[in-house]
Amino acid sequence: MIRKIFCIFFVPAFILSACNNGTKNNGAKTTADTVKVTVLTFEKQADSLVNKPVFIEGTVLHICKHGGERLFLADGNDSVTVEVTAGPKMTRFEESLIGSKIRITGMLKEERIDTKYLNEWEAEVKKPQENQNVGIHTGTKGHEDEGVNEKLEQIAALRDELKKSGKDHLSNFSIEASKFVEIK
Amino acid sequence: MQVKTLRKWNNALHRDIGYLCVGMTLIYAISGIVLNHFKSGDFIHPDYSKSYNEFKVPPPPNGKADQAYVMSIIEKEGEKNNYKSFITGENYVQIFLKNGSIYVDLASGEAQVEKKNTRYVIKEFNLLHYNNIKRFYTWFSDLYAIGLIILAITGLFVLRGKNGIIGRGAWLTAIGIILPALFLMFYM
Repeated sequence: MIRKIFCIFFVPAFILSACNNGTKNNGAKTTADTVKVTVLTFEKQADSLVNKPVFIEGTVLHICKHGGERLFLADGNDSVTVEVTAGPKMTRFEESLIGSKIRITGMLKEERIDTKYLNEWEAEVKKPQENQNVGIHTGTKGHEDEGVNEKLEQIAALRDELKKSGKDHLSNFSIEASKFVEIK
Repeated sequence: MQVKTLRKWNNALHRDIGYLCVGMTLIYAISGIVLNHFKSGDFIHPDYSKSYNEFKVPPPPNGKADQAYVMSIIEKEGEKNNYKSFITGENYVQIFLKNGSIYVDLASGEAQVEKKNTRYVIKEFNLLHYNNIKRFYTWFSDLYAIGLIILAITGLFVLRGKNGIIGRGAWLTAIGIILPALFLMFYM
């Protein structure tokens, strides 16, 4: 009897879930007010589109391995990348998407980096490694394995950039995805 | 209600919730071991094992990688059917395959192929552990967590006498609380 229950419920459930390689198509319908942005012009377009619906196409360059909640899109080369995070109603980005061309639909978001943000980040970086949660993800090769010194250098560079900008903050733009589709 | 009746209900609750929680507990425990070691740096990725192989290719004549150069590399490596796309960077090209990628240093011609092997079942366990499904799974996993809380509390009162909560059980429970507290004290 027990063997029967195990065979009926557990074995097929795990085999089915293991064979399912994730949802590759999370829908691709866009509404009329959704603005098209491109990887190469994203930074220029972003300022006027904060908290507005956008869609973008690009090649997946990197997916953060800590839960697949974030990916980076590129277009031909890695000099310009766009950060995309999985929205609250989306499952994670599957690592198998790396190298695929996809269309993302979502909301353009802005994270403001000011002196307070950098001070908090620096304090966090100086804590033991297991407590480091804040900071900017760059999407570059190996950025998730950066040590304390590399992070402190990144913070120092941002402080310089902030000083040179003459503004009270720097903007880190990203897209919070609500759906995506692989383009063949 | 009499103590005897209370204990009867306590034990029945502990038994039935225990049965209900077996599946999720195994999923969280197995995935927990994997994620623990991933966080400690023992694994490169929690869902995949990766293998690397190094080889050398002739650098492109003009120092720039184009479609023809990329195709020549993947044909040489027998990866034509696995090819997805490529991205160029400063002095390098990264060729994406269905199960990995090839990184080529355009100055030296040194190349590295990375192959990914999916840890099936573990990958699905990690998906649940991270709550990447979101939506209704959030409620379901909350229910499981509440079940664990009930299991922990009812577990204290299953046995009577010297092995119960007023005897040996008290010492063991205290050790179980003090140990994580000590970790927090020393590492915070």
